[in-house]
Amino acid sequence: MNATATGIPLKEPAVSAVAGDTEQLERAYIDASTRVPVLMFYTSAMAWLILGTLLAGFVSFKLHEPDLLSNVSFLTWGRVRPAHMNVMVYGWASMAGMGTAIWLMARLCRTVLRYPLLLVAGACFWNLGVFLGVCGILLGDSTGYQWLEFPRYAAIILFVAYTLVASWAVLMFRYRRGEQIYITQWYLLGAFLWFPWLYAAGQLMLFAVPVQGVLQTAVGWWFANNLLFLWFGAIALGTAYYMIPKVIGRPVYSYHLATIGFWTYALFSSWTGMQRLIDGPFPAWMITASIAATILTMIPVATVGLNHHMTMQGYFPLMRYSPTLRFTVFGAMSYTVFSVVGLLISLRSVASYVNFTQASIAYSHLGLYAFFTMVIFGSMYYIVPRLVGREWRYASLIKLHFWASAYGIGLMTLMLLAGGFSQGLSMENPTLAFSESVETVLPYLRGRSLAGLLLTASHFIFAYHFGLMLLGLGRTSTVPTFLNPVEAETSGGH
Amino acid sequence: MKGLAPLFLGIFGTFAFSWVGLTLVPNWQIGHLNPQSDEEGTDFYPQPQSGMFERGARVYVANGCVYCHSEQVRPDYAGADIERGWGNRRSAPRDYIFERQVLLGKMRMGQDLANIGARVPAEQASPSPVGAAAPAGSPAGGTSPAAPPAPQGAAPPASPAAKQSPSSSPPAQAGSPAPGGSPSGATSPAAVAASPATSPGSSPPTAAAPAGSQTGVGPPWPIQTVGEPPMYSAAWQHVHLYSPRSINVDSNMPSYRFLYEKRRIRDQRSADALKLTGRDAPPEGWEIVPTYDAKCLVAYMMALNQSHPLKDVRSVSGAPAAPAGAASPAPSPAPAK
Repeated sequence: MNATATGIPLKEPAVSAVAGDTEQLERAYIDASTRVPVLMFYTSAMAWLILGTLLAGFVSFKLHEPDLLSNVSFLTWGRVRPAHMNVMVYGWASMAGMGTAIWLMARLCRTVLRYPLLLVAGACFWNLGVFLGVCGILLGDSTGYQWLEFPRYAAIILFVAYTLVASWAVLMFRYRRGEQIYITQWYLLGAFLWFPWLYAAGQLMLFAVPVQGVLQTAVGWWFANNLLFLWFGAIALGTAYYMIPKVIGRPVYSYHLATIGFWTYALFSSWTGMQRLIDGPFPAWMITASIAATILTMIPVATVGLNHHMTMQGYFPLMRYSPTLRFTVFGAMSYTVFSVVGLLISLRSVASYVNFTQASIAYSHLGLYAFFTMVIFGSMYYIVPRLVGREWRYASLIKLHFWASAYGIGLMTLMLLAGGFSQGLSMENPTLAFSESVETVLPYLRGRSLAGLLLTASHFIFAYHFGLMLLGLGRTSTVPTFLNPVEAETSGGH
Repeated sequence: MKGLAPLFLGIFGTFAFSWVGLTLVPNWQIGHLNPQSDEEGTDFYPQPQSGMFERGARVYVANGCVYCHSEQVRPDYAGADIERGWGNRRSAPRDYIFERQVLLGKMRMGQDLANIGARVPAEQASPSPVGAAAPAGSPAGGTSPAAPPAPQGAAPPASPAAKQSPSSSPPAQAGSPAPGGSPSGATSPAAVAASPATSPGSSPPTAAAPAGSQTGVGPPWPIQTVGEPPMYSAAWQHVHLYSPRSINVDSNMPSYRFLYEKRRIRDQRSADALKLTGRDAPPEGWEIVPTYDAKCLVAYMMALNQSHPLKDVRSVSGAPAAPAGAASPAPSPAPAK
């Protein structure tokens, strides 16, 4: 505990007024240029987050209260569930992720954001695509493939929007200054290039020229899995590689480890996905290959985890003060948990119990929320003040947001994992009636709804706080908002 | 890292590797399967599906059934699917080649449906009194809104014919004679519902033939209630979709009432009106009838049937308690007979 808050560049002001510090001025200048597009992405993402949260609560309650509003076709569980998933995946996670990625790109290319209209148009089209897609799902146009449920008309609009954003990203690379390409940029460039390929391949092989029979399911899971790893995972890892060193003011522990981590991540995680089809009607090699790849993803997990850990070594107490650091480190640690859980439920012996249970929902939430969303929350706490020129107004709201999110997602994961295992144990016991397995899991699902309430609270708190920032009601200060007063505790070494 | 070129190539290469390995190679391996047949070139399996089947699948997708129901039977060494009577063998890629959209599913908050159409129980019909079975059976039998439903009395006699009709179209079903069972009207709704002939909306010449249906019968869930239509019959499926908890109080399946229509009875009760009791029953003078979508959905389910043996997959003998009265498909080495 040698680190105290004094003497650590924790306090780098959002908008520096210190004359002579050209680098800071340059940063402020770049930040200002990203203002409109990034805020557009963030604001839309927040709106989708709130909508997705409400839908999630509805889905969660309906699962144990099936008669709730079930007479209305567009509110039936089987439509609201994919609506929730897609709002979260494309509305919230993708838009927030792109917002952060855009800001990071501008900063790391060390150039003001050019062609902002591309991004503004991209955000508009993306919103339109998600809106049409969600309406389509609720009206019964869902395609039925996980995370590809948007009907074709929405998918095409999304793709157009995406092309605008990705071409912007490639253009920005042309204007970058400095030869060095930082770790974060590898991940972001990867994400920006993998996504269109992935999305196009999914659309083509499932809808335009559908593959035969069970291969549709294989392509579907290949898509969903890679979306999780190569799009969301890559953005989150890239963000963590920027935020952690930035906040604690220390370079990444090992550039070499980062290289190994990145390439093994790209290679192995892209080969996972088929383990979700364990024991299904597929050639055994496909599933075995994915199980092997899942085991091999422990290499990037270990290298990335070690790298972050060593970077943070001695600086962990800073999580007491910096909201960004707290959220980001939580997310980075969740990456390990997410991967380990993914590995466990992929082993054949375990999968025969949990394959068709709520445990796979726990896995998705670990990846998309505990890992990705928490990292993005962290980045938003860092970026938004630099866009609006104000600091977050209430430390207490940030703390509430963090704890409600952390406990919410923790409880949800535990409930779904434990529920999934007990559901699986009953299901694989043929002497028990099938309905026993459903009854076994219901108490856990009620617990999950409770966790959902915590998450709902956290999202509303964050949305309110974010709204204040947008309206220019943040604090005017040169010192960022810390979770706990820094001065009072500088010498304590708590 | 310096220079964009290696980064670009690496990003491109790793993903190309995965794309080729996990989608293109499997497509080359199992992406062009054909139906199997016996030595004489008959007894094709599987067979193309009817138009009602495809529309039913779309209803299934639109309402998210796939988020709670799987359509795959795992092998006997993994999981208890076969012991539960969800099938007499594991599912294989060939089972799905004619389905426009394959819905294997990843969750079982509800039962597996891979063989739901094979479970229409012949022997279940006998215990239930004719009075209960026939009216229940016939409503669902009248799948087509246009075709006037057969009067109640006609249901049992119609049954064998209905059973044959799908199988008679291609040369296929020669090997699997209409299962000896189906002594009552109970099975007829199943067959009729699956038969495209009764539907104006469906064109394909071939039918979803529930080949050799009587193989898999699961454990008694939900319990057959006296007065209800025979379990897993089309009429039963409609009641179950309309009011799941009237059949199993513990079910957490949502009700799909929006797929049904409540209307005033003209002249006499429609033959396909749901036979509902208690709280669900419509007021006097009203009836609940399935929409065309509901009929397609049930037709889809009734045609889900993987009980036909596959050459490259071992069927489990005896395990899923082939009903005593039911004949197994002739070429089947499987259900102990």
